[in-house]
Amino acid sequence: MGEVIKVNHLQKKFKSEYALQDVSFEIEKGEIFGFLGPSGSGKTTTIKILTGQLSPTNGDVKVFKQDISFLKSPEARQRLGILSDNSGLYDRLTIEENLDLYRKIYNLKENSVKKSLEFVNLYSDRKKHINKLSKGMRQRVLLARTILHQPDLLFLDEPTSALDPVNKFHIYEGLRRLNAEGTTVFLTTHDMAEADTLCNRIAFLNNGKICAIGTPKELKKQYADDTLTVELKNGQQETISKGATDANKMFDWMQKNLVERVSTNEPSLGEIFVQVTGRKLV
Amino acid sequence: MNLSMKRMQAILVKDYKEFSRNLAVSSTILVPLVIALFYSRMGIDTIQVHFMAINMTFSLVATYIQCCLIAEEKEKNTLRNLMLSPATIPEILIGKSMLTFIITILILTGSILLTGYNPGNTLIMIIAFLLSSIFYITIGTLLGLIAKTVMESSVIVMPVFFLFSIGPFASAFVEKYPVLKVIEWLPSTQLINLAESLENNFKVGDLVQPFGLISLWIIIVMILTVIVYNKRMKDDI
Repeated sequence: MGEVIKVNHLQKKFKSEYALQDVSFEIEKGEIFGFLGPSGSGKTTTIKILTGQLSPTNGDVKVFKQDISFLKSPEARQRLGILSDNSGLYDRLTIEENLDLYRKIYNLKENSVKKSLEFVNLYSDRKKHINKLSKGMRQRVLLARTILHQPDLLFLDEPTSALDPVNKFHIYEGLRRLNAEGTTVFLTTHDMAEADTLCNRIAFLNNGKICAIGTPKELKKQYADDTLTVELKNGQQETISKGATDANKMFDWMQKNLVERVSTNEPSLGEIFVQVTGRKLV
Repeated sequence: MNLSMKRMQAILVKDYKEFSRNLAVSSTILVPLVIALFYSRMGIDTIQVHFMAINMTFSLVATYIQCCLIAEEKEKNTLRNLMLSPATIPEILIGKSMLTFIITILILTGSILLTGYNPGNTLIMIIAFLLSSIFYITIGTLLGLIAKTVMESSVIVMPVFFLFSIGPFASAFVEKYPVLKVIEWLPSTQLINLAESLENNFKVGDLVQPFGLISLWIIIVMILTVIVYNKRMKDDI
C-alpha cells in the first residue's frame, strides 16, 4: 500500500530540553495508528511537526513521501485534516455557518456540510450558535469540520475526550467508515479502550521516545505473563502456568468437573503502558 | 500569484456575519461620524480640522477594527485553522482585510460629507485615501498578529491612534522641540501636506514625496506583517 508517514530518528529540542529524543515509525496508507502517551510525552509535538506547525531539530520526516516543506503547499493542506486541542470555532456563527466557511475554502459541494454534520450526529442542530453549545457538541463540530473535505490523512488529537459513551460510539463508527473509504488516521488518546477498539497499530511514547510499537494483539502477546486464571465452581481462583508444569493440576480439576471458567492473563494496553514506562497514563 | 476570489469572499462573508453580531466592536464605527458631525457644527473650515476627522477614521476604523478582527481569530485559535487550510497567505490576509476596507471607505465618505471637505483635486485625494486605507489596515493586521487577546489589541492600538491621528498637530511645536521633526515623515502628516498642496497651484513634483512616503510605509508594514504572520504559523521557540 505504501507509507503515508515515515519518521526517522526525529528529535525536537525546545531551548535546552528535548521534547522528542529519538522517534522513528512508519504509517501505512489505510491504517488507524494510535500514538499513546502521558501528558508531556511529546504526542502533540509530533503532530505539530507532521503537520508543518513545528520544525524538527534533527531527523528525517516524510509525509505523502515528500519532505515536510511540502506541507506548506495548498495541495498538501487539501489532503490533511487536523483536529488538535487548540482548534477553534467562530462563537457568533451557527454550526452550519462555521462549516460553510471551510466548505468554500476547500472548494467542496454544498452537500458536504450535511454529510459531515450527519457523521457527528449534529445535522438537526445546524442552526444553533456555537456559543450556546456544550463542550461535547463543540468537539463534534470540530470533528465535522476536520473531516469535511474527506482528507487522505487525518490527525486527531484526543478527539473524544469530551464525549459521552453514545457519541463516542457514533464517532468510532464514523471513523471506521471514513477509514474504510481510504482515510489514514493518526490518533492520540489517553483512552486505552478507544485505542484498543479503533487502532490497527499502536506506539507508546514516553519522555520523547517510543518504548513499544505493534498491533494491540502483538503487544498483548508480547507482554503477557504466560499464565492462566482458573475459576473453580467452589469460588476458588487459581493461577497456573500455560506450560506442561501445571497440566496435571488442570487435568485433575477438569476430571472432577470443578472448572467454572478459564481465562488468559492478557494485559490491557494500560497495563502494558505502565509496565514499559513505569508511569501511569495521566 | 494565484488568488481565489471564492476563498477571499468566504472570509469576507464570515467576517461580516461575526462583525454585525459583535456590538462592542461594530459600534466603534460611529465614533468618527460623531466627531465629524461635531466639527461640522463648529463651523471651522480648515484642512487641519477636516483631517482630524479623516485621520481619526483611519485609526479608529481601519486600524482598530482590523486589529480586533485579527486578534480575536488568534485568541479563539481560529486563525491557526485558516493557516492550516488550503487558503494561501495572500488569500487569508486580503480576505481578512476586505471587510475593514469596505467599512473604512464608507465611514470615510460619511465623515467627509459631514465635515464638508472639498479636496483641491478629488481624483488624487481618492488615490491617497485608498493608499492610506491600505496602510492603516496593514498596521491593524500587524498589531492584531502581535496582540495575544482582543483586550490587549485595544491597548496596543492606542499609541498608533495618538501617533497618527493627533501626531500631525504636534508639528506646531517643531521649533521648540526639534525631535518632533520626525512627525513630518508620518503618513498622516503626508496626507495633510498633500491636501494642502492640492489647495494651491500644485506641480506633479509636489505629489512625489507624499505618495512616495505613504507607499514606503505600506511596503515596510507589509513586510513586517508577513514576517510576523509566518512566525505565528509556527510554534518554534
